[in-house]
Amino acid sequence: MTTTDISPSRFLAQGNVYLPHIVVIEKIIEETPGVRTLHFNFKDEKLRKEFTFQSGQFAQYSVFGIGEAPFCISSSPTRHDHLEFAVQRVGRVTNALHRLGVGAELGFRGPYGNSFPLDFLQGKNLVFVGGGIGLAPLRSLIWNVIDNRDRYEKIDIVYGARTPADLCFKYDLEAWGKDKTVKFVTTVDRGEASWTGKVGVVPKILEEAAPSAKNAVAIVCGPPIMIRFTFPVLEKLGFTPEQMLTTLEKRMKCGIGKCGRCNIGNIYVCRDGPVFSYAQIKSFVSSEY
Amino acid sequence: MSNKKVSKKDITKLLSQWSQQFTVLVPSKESGVAEMAEWDGKDTSFLDWYRNTVVPPKASFLPPMEEMFHFQKDKEGYRIELPPNEHKQLIFSIRPCDARALAIIDANFKDLYQDPYYLSKRKSAVLVGLGCTNPSQSCFCTSLGISPAESTDVDLMLTDIGDQFLVEEITDKGKELIAKTSGLKEATKDDETKAKEAKEAASQRITRKINTEGIIDKLLASFDDKDYWEKIAAKCISCGVCTLLCPTCYCFDINDELVRQEGTRFRSLDSCSFPVYTKMPMENPRQEKWRRVRQKVCHKFGFFPMSFNVIACTGCGRCIRLCPVNWDITQTLASLPVKAEVGK
Repeated sequence: MTTTDISPSRFLAQGNVYLPHIVVIEKIIEETPGVRTLHFNFKDEKLRKEFTFQSGQFAQYSVFGIGEAPFCISSSPTRHDHLEFAVQRVGRVTNALHRLGVGAELGFRGPYGNSFPLDFLQGKNLVFVGGGIGLAPLRSLIWNVIDNRDRYEKIDIVYGARTPADLCFKYDLEAWGKDKTVKFVTTVDRGEASWTGKVGVVPKILEEAAPSAKNAVAIVCGPPIMIRFTFPVLEKLGFTPEQMLTTLEKRMKCGIGKCGRCNIGNIYVCRDGPVFSYAQIKSFVSSEY
Repeated sequence: MSNKKVSKKDITKLLSQWSQQFTVLVPSKESGVAEMAEWDGKDTSFLDWYRNTVVPPKASFLPPMEEMFHFQKDKEGYRIELPPNEHKQLIFSIRPCDARALAIIDANFKDLYQDPYYLSKRKSAVLVGLGCTNPSQSCFCTSLGISPAESTDVDLMLTDIGDQFLVEEITDKGKELIAKTSGLKEATKDDETKAKEAKEAASQRITRKINTEGIIDKLLASFDDKDYWEKIAAKCISCGVCTLLCPTCYCFDINDELVRQEGTRFRSLDSCSFPVYTKMPMENPRQEKWRRVRQKVCHKFGFFPMSFNVIACTGCGRCIRLCPVNWDITQTLASLPVKAEVGK
């Protein structure tokens, strides 16, 4: 693994923006029965060296003949010998992605969208709150932050899933559990005989962990219901809407603000997001998020 | 600068000259629906029946379905090939409303990332406008700052002055084309007067109006009035006609088609009228019809102008003329339940 500084410039593809680059699947990790992580790399040697992205950005991945779908880049830009994305099997494209094996070729367009504001996060206490596959964009940022540990203050991570079998990225959870510079709590909604961790929904466990809001930013990602119940808990802990960040998800086709569908009022999630503060979300014209 | 004129009986000669250089598109009913279609080299009968096309000329730039690229798998992996890009279209007799519509949606296709498919066709095309002297009673272009017989969104502008068309050179591209075109005469003062009268008369014929003053604030203030939107949406059957045939609607879908190891990625028009437009596997933010109708109205008159400072409507009247249940945007805009405070 190589660790480098992250270029702040947005990587813009040359030429026809709709033409995907060919990437090759190098490794597949079955996270849970319905979720897998795909490690991939560009087929083009030059692109492999030159491609840059930032934590929070997403891309359009295509299974040729089936179609395209957007997923965040779940690996950290500080570790760029390959890229990763995580897929839950829910629709046509994701089912196709779950049928592929190592060596298969995919189409890749991106990176698109904004990213987590590293300048804003620097020198702050960071509270990561994740649920299920919602850890995917967070883990990109978490590893990014851990790889530049001295730029940030305390790190709290609260992560949960419905059952122990639904916990994603178990290798990360293990690593963060051992990391003395990180306060890490994991929980499940429903435990089982062998489960020794916490039992309870993420917002409840977050409330118990009670991280201080002082000089802190909370970064939240998970199922919509978890996000909806997490914001009030953070408010109770003293976090202002400016101190809460999340990433939003919408049906997308173009990924670049043109095809229309991912809008919330005048905001396009692909063009203006996917990372928003709760203050921004509260100022949206529409509550259709 | 003096304007030119061309005799109506010489239109065939004019179009023949232009056909040497361009794919000339003229109003046609050949397919059963009035649209801009490739000129057959002789028929100019559209000059008698043409008021406006049913299919807006946006279809020549954002086709209902368009191949984006072709892909093929061999033992080296996937290979991607772009379709040939040799568009050189001349649209003859586009109406000022539809020419403005293209200028409006240009903003979307240029914003942040350039859309190569749309913009390459726009760049190479020549628009020859034809003033509207007989607008429909559903038209309301004058409320959107458009004059039915005048346009600065075209390269050349034609005005019917009896047996002749007055020809105005609007852009350099138009000027260059005229310089290479034979058979045009210099317009006289009398021709200019006739054209001026025709333009004024055309504007007078537009009687339907909307009030766009403070429209963004009015829509934002009415946004959360669910009862109002439910009432407005009640008769809508979500057929999508008002959007698919709207000259300023540009939403599209992207899909793949595969036969054995060969396939095509294509884009096709899409519509916010359809529930599937926003459907995600676990949820759909606009499953309910009133939310989709609200999106359509608010996008055109609120969100689009919030982003690009121009209303995404030209008053062409298609959505009124073509709606199977007589939904009328002008009535909706006139009946907004504006509240005192701008709501969030």
